[in-house]
Amino acid sequence: MIVKAVELTRIYRLGSSHITAVDKVNLQVDEANLVSIIGPSGSGKTTLLHLIGLNDTPTSGKILFNGDDTSFLSESERRKTRLQRMGFIFQTFNLLPTLTALENVELPMALAKFSQKEQMGKTVNLLETVGLAERLQHRPKQLSAGEMQRVAIARALANNPSLILADEPTGELDSKAGCEIINLLSELCKNQNIAVVLATHDERMAEVSDVTYRICDGVITLE
Amino acid sequence: MCLRNLLRRRLRTSLCILGITLATIFIVTIGATTSRYTSVIREMNIFFSGDIVVVAQGSIVVQAFPISGGNLPEDTIDEMKEIEGVRTAVPMLVFFGYKLEGVIQPVPANISIGIPPESWAILVGSTPLKPDGRWPSANSSAKEVVVGPSLADQYNLAVSSTIRIQNNDLMVVGILDTPSAILTRAIIIPLRVAQHVYLPTHPSWINMIVVEPEDESMEKEVAENIETNIGGVEALTADERNEIIAPLLSDIEMWNLGIRGMLFFLSMILVTTVAVMNISERRRDFATLGAIGAPRSFIFRLVITETTLIGLFGGLLGILVGTVATLLLASLYTNIPLTLFFQSPFDIVSPVFMAEVLTSTVVVSCAAGLVPAVNAMRANISEVLRSEY
Repeated sequence: MIVKAVELTRIYRLGSSHITAVDKVNLQVDEANLVSIIGPSGSGKTTLLHLIGLNDTPTSGKILFNGDDTSFLSESERRKTRLQRMGFIFQTFNLLPTLTALENVELPMALAKFSQKEQMGKTVNLLETVGLAERLQHRPKQLSAGEMQRVAIARALANNPSLILADEPTGELDSKAGCEIINLLSELCKNQNIAVVLATHDERMAEVSDVTYRICDGVITLE
Repeated sequence: MCLRNLLRRRLRTSLCILGITLATIFIVTIGATTSRYTSVIREMNIFFSGDIVVVAQGSIVVQAFPISGGNLPEDTIDEMKEIEGVRTAVPMLVFFGYKLEGVIQPVPANISIGIPPESWAILVGSTPLKPDGRWPSANSSAKEVVVGPSLADQYNLAVSSTIRIQNNDLMVVGILDTPSAILTRAIIIPLRVAQHVYLPTHPSWINMIVVEPEDESMEKEVAENIETNIGGVEALTADERNEIIAPLLSDIEMWNLGIRGMLFFLSMILVTTVAVMNISERRRDFATLGAIGAPRSFIFRLVITETTLIGLFGGLLGILVGTVATLLLASLYTNIPLTLFFQSPFDIVSPVFMAEVLTSTVVVSCAAGLVPAVNAMRANISEVLRSEY
């Protein structure tokens, strides 16, 4: 088991009103599993993903990562866990615009203090894996949406994570590029033994997922 | 990465650097010019330290030299020598060259000092002459002069050259080898010749006497004796001369510091504004960095480095342009050709001052980045990533 959410709840306070974005969610993600969380816009998918990714803290409940309770981690320990054991893929790619594809992928490795030589070798391999060997020195604005998402996937893989969290990874892509990304993530999951959690409203994901959860108004159900 | 972030917003970065540059230009120009003034004034105090300077009552004395006021009859010297505690009394005639080609200058272009040939040492100490030079002959009426190196360079004077002052031809017999701001622009003339040249109608007048007391500890007492026994004179000890100029120096320094502080403060606001704008536009970038696990210290350093680089570039550019502007100003005020200043720019804007300004600019820019850096560091990752879609 990579991740386990226990009675996870996230309540936002907006003035005097309270919004329950995630309501007593229980879920489990195992190694090399592709887990989809499917739900409409505003259903709490992204909030749940941020909670699992330790970007946010739950109002109640807890997250176990590799069996360890993350509630007691300090902010720097949470960042370290994200850096070394998780990868993130965003709907809008979130590549740093001033860096090339190569540098964007190198960045997590540089932060994890890999040597320059290791960074370079691994980055080229990763970009080759996602089919961008010819685009190393291109900046994000010189890439297509599909290519940017591939760079984001390569970046997510940079530090050999055991978990990848993808928030609507096909949301900004046309259907062909979307299919390619889904297939790529599915392959990575199986070939590299990485657990992938996808938040999406794309029903096609259910077909390729090992486990599918549906979420509505913050309440999750296993399909 | 920081450089690229700055270059990405080229116009904004350039305008910010320009702002810092302008502030630095003002700081360098005002700072170096006032420092030069004050150091020249302070340098004057090196002359005749421990001695008493006697001038006509009502004269304005800047440290060691009277810059305006009345003259004294030369026989005052004889009375002076009679006073208890006086070891030697050297008569001098000093003229500041405020007028050049008929136009009054804000800064004297030269200083003519008439002094008896046997007393050169009291003025120049052990300052050497450049090769081939000699001091004017002991024959006190020989129309020979020694000039400072800056004057020599400016007017292409060499040993045996002739200079014309008040329709008198004087022969240059030596050129001083000194960096002293006063001596470098000095014309040292035998007293008799100076009196003949500058006071042709009153050739036995002088405008200052340098009195050496028998014992330095008696300086004050001797000065009081002089004022009591000789009417119409002021005898100023080194301390008294310092007291006269201290308020002026302190005012100049206060204004200098005030202007410098204000300009640094404005620079800081400018850098902070630009950094805050840059950071608010890059909230998603910082949140992404946080999401992929970048430590807060990395984000903090990133912002601080960017603002520090702005300060560094602005400071370097400002120092470069400011130095040129200072030399231009100095040339304009002194009528010394600019090319002469370019031969030794560090005499006007010292490397220490440059380093001080650059350090201050970098520190100010670095400090200006603190608030934006803390804001960037503390961004709530999930909130930003959700709201920025």
